Amino acid sequence: MPVPRAGRDVPSRRLLVPTRPLHIVMVGWEWPPSHTGGLGVHSFELCKELTKLGHRITFLTPFPGPFTPVPGVTFRYPGGPVGETQTVSPFPPAYWTGDTPDSPFWNATDGYNTWVAELSEAEGVDVVHVHDWFGTDGAAALAHRLRCPLVMTVHSTEYDRSLGHPWQHILEREERGIAAAARVIAVSRHLRHQLIERYHGDPRKVRVIYNAVRPSERLAQIDPHRRVVLFVGRLAAMKGVDTFLRAAGRVVPQFPDVLFVIAGEGSEYSRLLHLTAALGIGDQVMFLGKVSDEEREILLAGSSVFVLPSVVEPFGIAALEAMAAGVPVIISKTSGVAEITSGAFRVDFWDVDEFASRIAELLEYPTLRKAMGEQGRWEALREGWPERARETVSVYVESLRAGDSR
Amino acid sequence: MKIVLYLHMHQPWRLARFRYLDLGSGRSYFDLERNLTIFRGIAERCYRPALDRLAQALEEHSEFRFSLSITGTFLEQARLAAPDVLDRLRALHSTGRVALLAETYYHSLSFLVPAPELHDEVQMHREMLRKEFGATPKVLRMTELAYSDDLARFAERERFNGMLAEGWEGILRGGSPTARYCAAPAPTVMLLLRHYPLSDDVGFRFSSTGWNEFPLTAEKYAGWIASTPGELVGLFMDFETFGEHHAARTGILEFLSALPRAVRTHPGVDWATVDEAIQGPPREPLSVPYTMSWADQNRDLGAWLGNDLQRSAFEAAKKVGLAVRQANDPEILMDWRKLLTSDHFYYMYVSGHGADQGVHEYFSSYDSPYDAYANYMNALTDLRRRAHERLGVPILK
Repeated sequence: MPVPRAGRDVPSRRLLVPTRPLHIVMVGWEWPPSHTGGLGVHSFELCKELTKLGHRITFLTPFPGPFTPVPGVTFRYPGGPVGETQTVSPFPPAYWTGDTPDSPFWNATDGYNTWVAELSEAEGVDVVHVHDWFGTDGAAALAHRLRCPLVMTVHSTEYDRSLGHPWQHILEREERGIAAAARVIAVSRHLRHQLIERYHGDPRKVRVIYNAVRPSERLAQIDPHRRVVLFVGRLAAMKGVDTFLRAAGRVVPQFPDVLFVIAGEGSEYSRLLHLTAALGIGDQVMFLGKVSDEEREILLAGSSVFVLPSVVEPFGIAALEAMAAGVPVIISKTSGVAEITSGAFRVDFWDVDEFASRIAELLEYPTLRKAMGEQGRWEALREGWPERARETVSVYVESLRAGDSR
Repeated sequence: MKIVLYLHMHQPWRLARFRYLDLGSGRSYFDLERNLTIFRGIAERCYRPALDRLAQALEEHSEFRFSLSITGTFLEQARLAAPDVLDRLRALHSTGRVALLAETYYHSLSFLVPAPELHDEVQMHREMLRKEFGATPKVLRMTELAYSDDLARFAERERFNGMLAEGWEGILRGGSPTARYCAAPAPTVMLLLRHYPLSDDVGFRFSSTGWNEFPLTAEKYAGWIASTPGELVGLFMDFETFGEHHAARTGILEFLSALPRAVRTHPGVDWATVDEAIQGPPREPLSVPYTMSWADQNRDLGAWLGNDLQRSAFEAAKKVGLAVRQANDPEILMDWRKLLTSDHFYYMYVSGHGADQGVHEYFSSYDSPYDAYANYMNALTDLRRRAHERLGVPILK
């Protein structure tokens, strides 16, 4: 049955509240509108809610914008204040790791970290909060210099992104960040466990705060004549898109009216295209490429089933977004989002036949589709970013009390 | 005051994971090994020890007697998994102090399916009791203690002399649950009512450490029974109460053994089988115009047919039944009947909160109600195809 929401490691409902508004330096990566992954959305939603609670954010990013403005959030990036320069970014898309430490990318990463460490005009900072690996060294040095605690949120690990073939240089950055942080936030209990087991994170310091979604006005309008099975995500090996395609191959003979839509881009694209051809299902599979937030919402509104067959999925916010839109979801058992839902089908990531059967069952039985859609919507929206922001502030207060500023 | 102790023995044929891709594969819907493994486990923890204690109590206390209902699906599984449990049951019945009740062979919702399904299943069960135990039941109990005026009329047509029902305030209208009643539309059918507070003290609360009466001793319980005014007190519960719902370490089996002895200390309190309890002076007529049950807070059929999933699955099963009847194939008919077993619908119960949800999850063998529904519908869809094939109806899709 469903894993209980609140565990020992999840912040208790009695959250800590600071005595005064905090100034947080957030060492980030992307920010909307130009983001490629969930991290940009996470930063945006979290910062928005933090400012509503009265806290002030200085958001650091290697990119020169544009930035969707949020009152209370100041953006800083190497090379000047907002809007002054329009330099071409030396950075490839997020999580891109196909480069060597001698390359321009690594020089740029180190440059970003140096800039973060030496950040000028940073006064009255209470907490330095860094996301994932790329800014950890700079963030740790900055926190040390400013004598304030470092909080690190881990959204995914190099082990997972590389499917067990990690890049040593990234691994080390992750390890250093986890060791330096006064508190570490993992986006699922599954991930927390990994941080403790593989990264030697101190269990007393690692907290779980789940991702959330914003309520969308657009409800899924299920049209029985236009049936879409949807995948949204990066076309990366860890996402298990080939399982999605192989399952589609099993479903299409019996459901000739169904369209399998893949929204996202990534390094696996050409391989997946070849697989589609090899499976002979080209006329029932559509690769949309990257979609905007609005396009994604429209897609969800017209979809019958959402599938997230990830081999590894620390959280899986795309599934939560589908649930919020009332679309029934099929997720792999290991995904973090599986910990907070009972209204989804949970399947072993390797079990193509089971994915295919679950897709077929949702296509075949409208009552099931409706019941799961309603349950998922309720589960996805009963708590949102405001709750997550309050949980995060509670971890800030913990980190301040720990007096662990390095 | 007579105690009517009645214990219900049932195990469903649980489904295997029958995937949508398994349609047309000829695979069985039912997981024989898993069902037998479960049965063996319960036999070890509950059936054997509790039946042995009951046998001993019959031996030691000549006034002690009770009643059992044994479903056909239980018997089928016992035969394969633990034949000695059947031997124990036969030995108990041969004492003449253990009455057996009639019911549907498949513990099914066939009372909501067009005739003659209910009659057929009750008939099957009667034949099973005659063959296995040489028994001729006089009293009928419907699945999950379902009862209504219509069911009383059915019992009358089938020449039963009594039926069981829940002693629920909603139907008693101020009357006592321990008085004698007959069915208003069928006065020859006597009603035996479940005293739910006393039944649930044992069935649900016995091992609950948070209960202010914890721990419940046989002496205390016998005292409660003795101080209850009236003629009959119906203690109706699952047989699995003794060793399964409450594990042996809670002392439930000792409680069962000690009860006849404790009751003996109260003159005027005695035991009766259901067959004995329906004898006696004229009774008050009782009318129940809707179908009630013994489950959950509402005592209705909500536990089986309360949500869209359950209703949709049951409607689909009824519809498939038309083709199944026409197909006239014993195997197809048998599989359909196994799919009418009420447990399958119970697994599809959805509720976020409340005391009942815990009870439902305890009894479910699925990851979620959605899982239960999808699996059930796959089996039913396959069955429909088989029936259509047999009838020569072209299979669409």
